[in-house]
Amino acid sequence: MTIVVLLSAGRHPVSGAPVLPRMEAQAIRIAASLGEAVGLHAGPDAEAVREALGLGLTRIEHIALPEGLDPVPALSARLAALAPDLVLAGRRSQGGAESGVVPYALAEALDLLLIPDVVAVSGGADTLTLDQSLGRGALRRVSVRGPVLATVHPDAAAPHAYAFGKARRGAVELVGAAATGVDVPQAIVEERPYRRRPKLVKGAPTGGSAAERLKAATGEGGSAAKGRLLVEPDPEEAAREILAHLRQIGVLAGPTKSNS
Amino acid sequence: MTRPRRDPRAERASIQVAGEARPRFDRTARRTGSGRPRRDPRAERAGQRVAAEARPRYDLSQTVRFDAAVITEAQPKAAAAASPKILVLDDPAFLVAVVPDAPGGRLSSHDRQVLGAARALAGREGGVAILTLGACEGVGPAGADRWLPLDAVEGYDPATQAARVAAALTALAPRHILFPESLDGGDLARRVAVRMGEPLFTNAEVVAANGLVRPAKGRRVEQRIAPGLLSTVAPDAVAEYGGPPREARPLPVEAEAPTQGSKRIVSAARVPADPATVPLALAEFVASAGNGITDLDTFRQVVAALRATPGASRVLCDAGLMPRHTQVGASGTVLAATCYFALGISGAPQHLQGVAGCEHVVAVNTDLHAAMIERAGLAIVQDAQAVMPALLKLLVQEAQGTGDETA
Repeated sequence: MTIVVLLSAGRHPVSGAPVLPRMEAQAIRIAASLGEAVGLHAGPDAEAVREALGLGLTRIEHIALPEGLDPVPALSARLAALAPDLVLAGRRSQGGAESGVVPYALAEALDLLLIPDVVAVSGGADTLTLDQSLGRGALRRVSVRGPVLATVHPDAAAPHAYAFGKARRGAVELVGAAATGVDVPQAIVEERPYRRRPKLVKGAPTGGSAAERLKAATGEGGSAAKGRLLVEPDPEEAAREILAHLRQIGVLAGPTKSNS
Repeated sequence: MTRPRRDPRAERASIQVAGEARPRFDRTARRTGSGRPRRDPRAERAGQRVAAEARPRYDLSQTVRFDAAVITEAQPKAAAAASPKILVLDDPAFLVAVVPDAPGGRLSSHDRQVLGAARALAGREGGVAILTLGACEGVGPAGADRWLPLDAVEGYDPATQAARVAAALTALAPRHILFPESLDGGDLARRVAVRMGEPLFTNAEVVAANGLVRPAKGRRVEQRIAPGLLSTVAPDAVAEYGGPPREARPLPVEAEAPTQGSKRIVSAARVPADPATVPLALAEFVASAGNGITDLDTFRQVVAALRATPGASRVLCDAGLMPRHTQVGASGTVLAATCYFALGISGAPQHLQGVAGCEHVVAVNTDLHAAMIERAGLAIVQDAQAVMPALLKLLVQEAQGTGDETA
């Protein structure tokens, strides 16, 4: 089984230093559990992705590409040559535009099946089983046939620890530099230092006064404001009240449902 | 023409209140015959007061003639509240399309925010069109002028779904298309973008007709762009639509549905989260034990019976009675749960920080003045040690009772 992990040159969100995005490190862990994997990076410099060698990859293929060119044609050409069974990528880049469109463009170019937000992959060469995150710990277990491109969700297992010896033994190979790149169609974008916007206060009435917004923000306007207080009730009475309240909120299934 | 001569003594005698030993005069009575009527500033002010508001508000544009009875606005306001007028937009200049997630046929709050953003882009002359996959309720009050109900794709086949949405959007030809930046919505937006060959502006935090703003490069810069065709809107960034309900006129679906794609997805099954093993930060319902609990075996049984995720306060974790990863609070896990059930927890400030994001709190504690009792939506001042067996008994009874009925 051929597995390719797509690697991007990330930037640390605080320091701005080159770093491998965490989701790609998690993708390497998923790939390592299935078999031998190879990393693929397209960009001017492979130094940023060298860290991936210490996290479980033994070999990284680097396509030299000038800054500012669209990596999708070069990557899709190389992927077509490799013909992998499984391609893993992070769900968003880190430190760039962070739009997460590249895996979708690759899937469209190569006519690959794309499964987003995967937390675990198992199975063999014929059929793969992917666990897709639906948020809040719920999963969708998808069985697929044929080559598949999966993006990794942050809820996947934490990456392996960095091993210095492995990082030294691993190799970064330069494969066919894509001379004919296509410029990314740049829309006119104005950049400014980031400014935090005021948070939307949930539950505050539109056009309400500042006092109402403050009440909504501190939780006084919510359930707590019209809270019920039972002082020294009978324990059985208290238990009935608690169960009725939990069912009213909807976190506890009804007595008929819980048994079925 | 002569003015009638005033007789002050007679006027005074006419306003004298009868039947009192001390002479008293009612000066509010309208004087007849002579002079200007007397103003009553209090009655004028009361007449300007807007009815049906707790805070006093005055409509100063309403000028009250002092000799006429004051007009109160209570009647027209009540009539307006009885039948909210549905806004009808017959000939919109352009359309702004919204493709919501609508899990379970109901708009989520994120979907409503996207509709609010679309309304901001549409302005006064544009219309908002909503594209739903399958049935969906409450699209008109959320701000949709047009409604395009597409057939839902059976099973899990995101590629076919994206093809269907892209075909419908091409036929509709809106000026802007907005998606929610959620797990499903973000996936659909990117599939539609590569299918239509259009750039996608992701995760917009500000949506206005003069520009969209998104964070980039690890939130160190923000990028502003004129609204393009495709964008996704970040959660909790834009306010929901707050105006009167809109028409949501159904549009005929013209585009033919693309056929089901290849059979590369063999099966897809939903696996619900196991409350016992789900990480505390992701849990939906957390039941937590504090220093008021000594019998932890019963606590674990109650948690299992309630299908909740176990949590604990710092005191229990420090004592080694509960594992460290169950600790709730500033130095433990900050919860995003819907409901928090606190047993024997008084509510230290650091613990309450961890609970701040929870929508509902149920607390059982012996101390009436505990902070957790104050925070809770249902607060019970009782020993948690006594309430736990009662809860367990009741849950077992319910399970057995329904078991007998079904048997």
